[in-house]
Amino acid sequence: MSHRRKKKRHMSDVELNLAAMLDMAFQLLCFFILTFKPAPVEGDIILKLPPPMPTTMQPGAKPLGGDESDTSPVIALETLTISVLSTPSGSIKAIMVGDAEVPGALAGLDFKLKKVLGESNAGFKQVLIQVDSRLHYDSLMQIIGVCNVQKIDGERLSKLSFVELPMGAVN
Amino acid sequence: MSGSVGGGGEKAEPNLTPILDMVFQLITFFMLVINFKSASMDLDLKLPVLGSAQPVETKGRDLLILNITEDGTLKILGQEFRDKAIESQLHTQAVASREVAKKENRDMKDDDDLPSLVVIRADKSTPFVLLNRVIRGCQENGYRNFALKAKNKPEE
Repeated sequence: MSHRRKKKRHMSDVELNLAAMLDMAFQLLCFFILTFKPAPVEGDIILKLPPPMPTTMQPGAKPLGGDESDTSPVIALETLTISVLSTPSGSIKAIMVGDAEVPGALAGLDFKLKKVLGESNAGFKQVLIQVDSRLHYDSLMQIIGVCNVQKIDGERLSKLSFVELPMGAVN
Repeated sequence: MSGSVGGGGEKAEPNLTPILDMVFQLITFFMLVINFKSASMDLDLKLPVLGSAQPVETKGRDLLILNITEDGTLKILGQEFRDKAIESQLHTQAVASREVAKKENRDMKDDDDLPSLVVIRADKSTPFVLLNRVIRGCQENGYRNFALKAKNKPEE
């Protein structure tokens, strides 16, 4: 009987040594804390970028400059061309829509695009951005940001094509 | 005075269970928030700031994440490519993307546009000539869908 009682007491006295487990857990914790790098919050501009196509005229459109009273040359084109010229340091020097320089930098571009794309017979098939090869990515993103908020046929303008302007192509 | 002072006192045994619980909870937290996606991102790049750039859900899409440094070096999963190696690497990536796309869509032809999304993370000072080299390389290999990365607020 006494032997059986002794056995029972031994079973109830079982105690795990948690110190070793705690050491290991702390080591794991240190590893995760030291290697923890939260992912930066980044935004996206989703674009469809087909390769640029040759610029063509709409069938039946008047040739450019054929009508002196028509002061909106872009209506005759299937391609809306935006040219961005750069300073030597890579920031925006001038923006042109078609052949006309846009005053007021980005705000002016936004105004001009709203006007041009808002015209019912605009009918652009592609938007071509001619970019100075020196222009920095952050300046280009400002231009893309303005284009991306415009709408064609009720949809966001997300289909763009880029063409590289050689250095010093336009002075 | 009856504590552990001297030789005759009881052995102090703190209860480690609550602290172990807490440590395991912290480990679980860190394991859950660990971000494997950041392995494909070069976090040293300074992205441009654009307020209208919003995070877009890309779950389930085949992504090709391209990091472009200021000097035009292309980084894919930590590997660096320069000059002509960029074109050959983009071709290799396109072949892999096409294989993935063909598994999902058996009707896909070899000259069809790739459905993969090219994520471009370029340094804000990258000149367009270097950026366009990568974009053109992607276009020549059939990529049409692009996501240009930007921060939507400046770093503090």
